[in-house]
Parts: sequence; structure tokens; C-alpha cells
Amino acid sequence: MTGLLGPNGSGKSTLIKSLLGLVRTQQGSGSVLGMEWPQRVREIRDQVGYLPEDDCYIAGLNGIESVAFMAHLAGLPGTEGLRRAHEICDFCDIGEERYRPVESYSTGMRQKLKFAQALVHDPPFLILDEPTTGLDPDQREAMLRRIRTLYRTHGKSILLSTHILPDVRSVCDQVIMLVGGEVRIIDTLENLSRPAEPTVHIAIYGDSAPLAGRLREDGFSVTEDSDGSLRIAGIDTDQIPGLWQKAAETGACVRRLTPAMNSLDEIFFHAASETELR
Amino acid sequence: MPVHDLGYRNWEGSRTARILRPMFVARSGVSLVWRRRWLRTMLMLAWLPIIVPAFGIFAFEYSATEPEMRQVVVQVLSGPFQRPDLAQQAISDPAEVRHEVWTMLILTFFRYPQLSAMVLLVGLIAPMLVSYDLRSKAYLLYFSRPLSPTEYILGKAAVVWFFLGMIVTIPALLLYVIGILLSPDLSVIGETWDIPLRILGASVVLLVPTTAVAMCYSSSTSESRYASFAWFATWILGFVAYQFLTFMNVRRPPRRRRGGPDWQDLDIDFDRYRLLSPYHTLGKVESWVFGLDPTEGSVWPAICLLLIITVVGFWIVRRRIIARLSV
Repeated sequence: MTGLLGPNGSGKSTLIKSLLGLVRTQQGSGSVLGMEWPQRVREIRDQVGYLPEDDCYIAGLNGIESVAFMAHLAGLPGTEGLRRAHEICDFCDIGEERYRPVESYSTGMRQKLKFAQALVHDPPFLILDEPTTGLDPDQREAMLRRIRTLYRTHGKSILLSTHILPDVRSVCDQVIMLVGGEVRIIDTLENLSRPAEPTVHIAIYGDSAPLAGRLREDGFSVTEDSDGSLRIAGIDTDQIPGLWQKAAETGACVRRLTPAMNSLDEIFFHAASETELR
Repeated sequence: MPVHDLGYRNWEGSRTARILRPMFVARSGVSLVWRRRWLRTMLMLAWLPIIVPAFGIFAFEYSATEPEMRQVVVQVLSGPFQRPDLAQQAISDPAEVRHEVWTMLILTFFRYPQLSAMVLLVGLIAPMLVSYDLRSKAYLLYFSRPLSPTEYILGKAAVVWFFLGMIVTIPALLLYVIGILLSPDLSVIGETWDIPLRILGASVVLLVPTTAVAMCYSSSTSESRYASFAWFATWILGFVAYQFLTFMNVRRPPRRRRGGPDWQDLDIDFDRYRLLSPYHTLGKVESWVFGLDPTEGSVWPAICLLLIITVVGFWIVRRRIIARLSV
């Protein structure tokens, strides 16, 4: 599952539309699901479920008809398309509202409807453009749970384009970051979260200055964060017992000791502002 | 949570051919339009004019045996149709003029009540076909499936064709079948076999360019009322301009003893301004398709104009849709 990140106007939606052949590309080539892109975009579209960012619906239809219509457009035969539409509406938690005209749906309901429409033909690859926009916290969590289930249990490949970094953190294992139409970062979330050199955070009850001084004497790079905790860079895992020892010697009472991770917000900010990650 | 909820299940089954996908666009459009009660009422009313040509065919076929009917046929052919020669022939040798009388009746049905009904019906259906999709951004949903803009346009146009076919082609074919059933024997089919083909040809002339224009207007705005306005304005302004320019120098048309004015004696050039009016342009080509074009001017300018309108209309629709996708 890949998260597609980038500031506004970075080209996320354009990239998605290009992948689906909705906008014409001037150059470049590649493959999607083993199919040559852009030569076979219509075959690619047949195998992709796309949830657009925009608020879009087919006026005049009710919920279940909208989903069944998308099933039919994807090639599911008449009754089977309707049966499958009901099944997907159940999965997406669209209850009796499925019989209401889509014009009367709230933003959250329309989001769920678009998700059902993207999913109804059981595509192996899902492209979800801002799937949690307009959802309340419960619904957002439920949506992310569904996305996780599709990825982990049903083996779907998912490209999740979003501004909401906690969403990416909670479901994605890879990140692509676009800035100004260019790929700035492409890596696993695990690699990105790891700092350039091993670092730990240590929070102390009381005065941390004696421990900081002692560590500096031993050659560690120590900085004090705004919350008073110490950030110790260049410390390997096998040196952690020594750290406890030094804390005991300086009378420091350790409240918390954790390996430092780059936060996604930090990565996003740095990538967007073209500064190098520490 | 429903008791039958089984969570997500993968789906494996054979899909329908991609070439059939526009059919689903058309089916969905037809089902949406069909829900409107006013439309169902209108379709029913649009069938009423069939009574007149059906009675004409009935009267013609029974004129051989019923003297009263013979009188009616003579009156109709000499009066409204202004063909006294045909009226005489219809009395002396009905089989000889059967083809001409039938086509005349069917053309009249096409030309006057159904063309007007078509303008009204298309004006009410077509403007919302594309403009609603532009307003609600539904094109993103359509084109997230393997559907090309051309297939989308074909599916949407088929919605209009379906309803127009219901009020134009099917009643006209039914008229032909009525004629066959009322005729003395089945040898009539041999004499009139080309009429169904002419009906289909005239239907294409009527359906395709008008759909192209209506969809062009519909794709030009996300407000369907503007498209409706443009559609009706095109027909009304064209009609009025043609009538005005053609007949502006005619002060007092000479009147026959019975019936309407005798236009033939006025030396009016009916073809000079014809291309201004879609109504008269379509009428000219339809008359030509039925082999009953009464005016002297060539039909080719009208055919070329309709072809150009069709190609340009659909091209604009396609361009508008592609432009929206790029945003």
C-alpha cells in the first residue's frame, strides 16, 4: 500500500488521471499491473478502482443504482451487477440510505458511495484520492479499516493519495512524495522514519544538565528539545546499557527512553521545502 | 449491520464485452428519463397523430370497394395534398398509385406532427444528458471505467434515439404494417418493399443531426435550461427567418376556389433561404428520401449542411468532455 503525498498543486491528481489515461501525456512510459502504459490505458482502467477526489455523482440515480451502474459499466452482467452492488454497499456500511437519491447524500455518505463504486468490480488495484475527506472520526477510522482489510486480507494494491498524514502513517507501508510535479521521495515508511544516524530520546525527571554534560564528555552529540528531553545522536543499540549506567551515576531519574523516529510531518515539511533530512 | 453481511468477497466471473458498455450508458439514461411522468404522457400524445395517416391508408384501401371512401380519398388528395391528378388515378387504378399515396401519407406524418413532437421531446430530454454530468462531475465516474469519450457520446445519443424512434420510426413502420394488413393481398409487399427502408432513412435524417445539435448545446453548459433555450431558439428563429425571407414580398396570394393559397402560381423560390431553417432543411431531405421532393432546388446543400452539423456537433461534444477531464 503506497501513500501518495505532496503539497497542493504538486501533481498528485494529475498523476492519477494520467495513470488512468484521463489526461494525455506528452512523454514517458511505464507499466501498470504488467500492462504497458500509456498504450493500454483502457485495459488498465478495467483493472483499477478509482475513487475521485471531487464530489461526483450521477444525478437522478439512488445509491444502489449508482453502484450497480458502475458494476455494469465495468462489465458485470445485469443481475450479478446488482447483487454485487448490494454486497459492496453492505461492506461499505451503506444501509437503507442506498435507496435514497444520491443528491440527498451528505459528503461522508457520498465518500462511502464513491468507495463502493470503485470497489464493486473487484479490481486488483485501487486508486483512492482523498478517501477520508468529509468523514467524521468514526467513519474515517472505519474507512481506513476497510482499506487495511482490502490490502492485508484480499491482497489489493492500493495507491492512497491524501493530505492527511496520520492516514498514511496508519495504513501505508510505502510513500511517494511529489513536489512540483517531481518525485521527491520514494521509500518505505520504515526507512523514512529512521533517522540518518541512530538517535534516542531520553526524558528525565528533574534537571537533565548533569547527564547531558556527562554524555557530551563521552563524545555524544546531545541536544535539548523544547520539552526538556534530550536527543542523543550517534548512539548504537549496544551502547544503551551504558546510557543507563551514566544516568545512574549522575543521579538522573529516567522517565522515558525511546529510539527517535523522523515524523512523517517532518519528512513532508522538509521534502516540500527542499531541505535535506537529518 | 445486516445479518447477511459477509464482509468483502472477491468476485470472479466473466465480464460482458467492452463494445457493449455504451449500451449500459444508454440504458441508464433511458431509465432515468422514463421515470418522468410528463414524458410518458408526451410519448402517448405523440402517437395520436398516427390516426390521421392510418385513416388515410384505410380510406385508400377501401376506396376500391366502398364508393363513400372513394369520395373521401378524392377530397383529401385534391384538397390538402393538392394532387387532383393523383386523386383521379386513385379512382381509376389504385394499385398504380398505392406506393405514392402511402409514402405521401407517411411523409406527412414524419414532416408535420412528428417533426414538431421531435423538437419538443429532444428539447426536453437532450439538454440534461451531458450538462447534468458536467455539473455533478459524473464524467469522472464514467471515464474511470474503460469507456472512451466517443462511446460515452454514443450511449448518451442512443437515449435520444430511443425516444425519437418510439415516436417517429415505430409509428411510421406501424403505418406501413397497417397498410399491408388492409391491402387486398400480400403482393403489395413487392410493390412497397422500399417504404420501410425509406422510413429508416428518414429516421436517420431526423435523429442524427438533431441529436448532435442538442448534445452540443448540452455539453456547452452545466445549466441545462440554457441548452434548452438555445435548442428552441434555433428552431423558432430559423423557422421565422425562413418564413419571413421567403414570403416577405408576397402580399396577397391568389386563392383557389377551395383550399389554401396557390403558392405555385406565385413563383416563390422555396429553396433560397431553406438552409436557415432546420425545420425546412430536414423537411427537404426527408421529402427527397421518400422520393417526393416538391421543390426544384438541389437537395445536396441541405444534405451537406446536415452532415456538417452532425460532424461538428459531435466533435464539439467530444472536445468539451476531453477538456473537462484535463481540469
